[in-house]
Amino acid sequence: MFGYWDALYFIYAFIIGLLISYLLMKWAEKASVGTRKEGDGSKIYISGEDQDKVIPQFEHLQGYFTGRHVMWGFIRGINKMFLTFRREHTGLLTDYVSYLLITVAIVLGVMVIWG
Amino acid sequence: MIAFQFVTAFLMIFMGLYAFLYKRNLIKLILALNLVDAGIHLLLISLGYRLENGLLPTAPIYTGYETLKGTPMVGPIPQALVLTSIVIGVCVLSLAMALTVNAYQQYETLDVSKLRRLRG
Amino acid sequence: MNVLPWVIITPLFGAFSMPVISLLGGKFRGHWAVIVSGLTLGIAAKVFYTIWKSNEILVYTLGDTNPIGNGVKFPIRIIWEVDLFGALLALTVTFVSFLAILYSLEYMKHDTGLDKYYALTLVLELGMIGIVITGDIFNFYVFLEIMSIASYALVAFRNDTWEGIEAGVKYMFVGSLASSFILLGIALLYGQYGTLTMAYLAMKIAENPTLISKVALAFLVGGLLFKSGAVPVHMWLSDAHPAAPSSISAMLSGLVIKAGGVYAIARIIFGIFNPGLHSYLKAFDMPALNLNTLGWIIIFFACLTLVIGNAMAVVQNDMKRLFAFSSVGQIGYILLGFGIGIVAYGDKIGEIALTGAVYHIVNHAVIKGLLFFIAGAVIHQVGTKNLNELSGLARRMPFTTLSFIIGAAAIIGLPPLNGFASKWLIYESSAMYNPILAVIAVIGTVFSLAAYTRVLFTFLGVESEKVKMVKEPGNAMIVPMLVLVIIILVMGILSWQISDKIMLPTAKMLEQLNGEYIMALLKFIGGG
Repeated sequence: MFGYWDALYFIYAFIIGLLISYLLMKWAEKASVGTRKEGDGSKIYISGEDQDKVIPQFEHLQGYFTGRHVMWGFIRGINKMFLTFRREHTGLLTDYVSYLLITVAIVLGVMVIWG
Repeated sequence: MIAFQFVTAFLMIFMGLYAFLYKRNLIKLILALNLVDAGIHLLLISLGYRLENGLLPTAPIYTGYETLKGTPMVGPIPQALVLTSIVIGVCVLSLAMALTVNAYQQYETLDVSKLRRLRG
Repeated sequence: MNVLPWVIITPLFGAFSMPVISLLGGKFRGHWAVIVSGLTLGIAAKVFYTIWKSNEILVYTLGDTNPIGNGVKFPIRIIWEVDLFGALLALTVTFVSFLAILYSLEYMKHDTGLDKYYALTLVLELGMIGIVITGDIFNFYVFLEIMSIASYALVAFRNDTWEGIEAGVKYMFVGSLASSFILLGIALLYGQYGTLTMAYLAMKIAENPTLISKVALAFLVGGLLFKSGAVPVHMWLSDAHPAAPSSISAMLSGLVIKAGGVYAIARIIFGIFNPGLHSYLKAFDMPALNLNTLGWIIIFFACLTLVIGNAMAVVQNDMKRLFAFSSVGQIGYILLGFGIGIVAYGDKIGEIALTGAVYHIVNHAVIKGLLFFIAGAVIHQVGTKNLNELSGLARRMPFTTLSFIIGAAAIIGLPPLNGFASKWLIYESSAMYNPILAVIAVIGTVFSLAAYTRVLFTFLGVESEKVKMVKEPGNAMIVPMLVLVIIILVMGILSWQISDKIMLPTAKMLEQLNGEYIMALLKFIGGG
């Protein structure tokens, strides 16, 4: 068959990855936990987030994460493309019909000319 | 030469498409949907029509009716197809009417361009 | 006894006996639906096993033993022609529908009108099974409409919410227009060739490929691209799938766009307008259709779908809408596989691409079913699907979060899960055929990764107010999710074995290098 690998290799790699991430998490917990394990003095370490630290320009990340914030840079970087796509999705039934007609017309035209 | 019923069928389909693009009332859109369907039905039914030796065709499967010898018979399959398709069309029609009533209750308008809270 | 007709009769009987059953009491309706869909699953499994074992196409004539009419030499009866691809899809359809009905026992507990809900769900299942087993093009249209009407009604099932009604109106009007285009294509084919049996139509078209057949093919493909939710006609999908109840979303996203869209495109192209047959004709300087053009059209739409579908998923704040856009993106991969299968027909590359596409259909049905079940569990327990309010579910719903991680990893295509195997086949074949296509496919995956990372981070973040008092859903919702998680893991570990044993024969049977689909019918004509 094509390709050289077996699913088992990936399971080994996955287990090793899990082990590494567990060790990393333990280390990070030790490094980031405050004076106490529970209660006020503690800091939560999950998904790399430090509640007390405020990074300049990233104030919107303060508090808890919401869906809007993740991938912020990525979305920001190609914002223009997303704006175009979102604007095209007008929600007008007439537009949906015209897109259907355009699609059929493209297929029809190409098939009649080069089919 | 193209028979006039084919021209009529395609005219009906294009009228339906025109209404779909430029009309906004939901009831008119339902009519447009039925117009497109009716055009296709006309196309299908006229495919079964035959004129042989200048004689008009007779109904396909109709017992108790003596056909003249040599008289052609219209194709029975398109009629069965159109019958099925009409039944489907009625289903679509009634569901569309029910949805229109519900849309009127929710939005208090039949203008389809006002139904655009879902976007982006 | 031939079990094939029972795969239709069972859900049909179940759906129309639902009003009688509901007289017995509210509880029985759900249980009856579970029993009926379980039976259907068993029958579909039997059909699949029979065909897989014998590796032959099953032809069943409705109302007779022979599709050929008395005294004529051509088929006049409606036939069902099931090959391995159809049987595999029937198995997938019945399996996911069974789990969805089991799931709705608890998910729909607080809704009214449940007898109609279960009846419509069974009718939806019936329509999809009908599409994948039929061998008659008008019968295909009838089943397509049965499926479509049931799905319009189910999208608008919660008719006290504006979302369901608006999505239902848009889906219904444009969807009916697309169905009309499909009917127009069928009418043109019938007018030109005078037959409706798919295999016989294939012969007739090969004898005399006219302009009308090209126009009919264009109408059929255009309408079916709409039904499968390809860009730029994906907008109904991203409106309708989030608006439906989650158990129905799982069926719509996992099954309806496959059975009624992608499967039908593949069946019409490989069954009726077989690329091999036409390139064979062309080699002898006979008039033939150029199916390569159609392959490139499908690749073009597939690339658009891949990029735009997955990219739109990144910017959604509504969890179900995100999943729906992701479905659009995954349809792109399947279409890409089929497109390469058409342009590289008869080649090793084409075979790999078809294998990947068929495999991805099954994988995506399972994974997207799981993801929508998770979304449903979150909606049921928390009461919102807005990602901005769902932060920190992981502590309160650990099982749901774990299954989400597995589902998301599978749909992105991380090894060792099943999504990787099928996507790898598609990447590999597209890279071998044309590296640019592979690059586009990988761009789609990058967007998909970004979209699912957002949901994952939301689940793992700090708890927000809304999720403080949440707990895991009940068993009727946990069990279907658990089953799907196990299936994903098992299919991931045994991915190459499954690919060799099931998907490759399926792709070969779909590709039908020796015209098996036509031969299965010709056997009758030669004999009678």
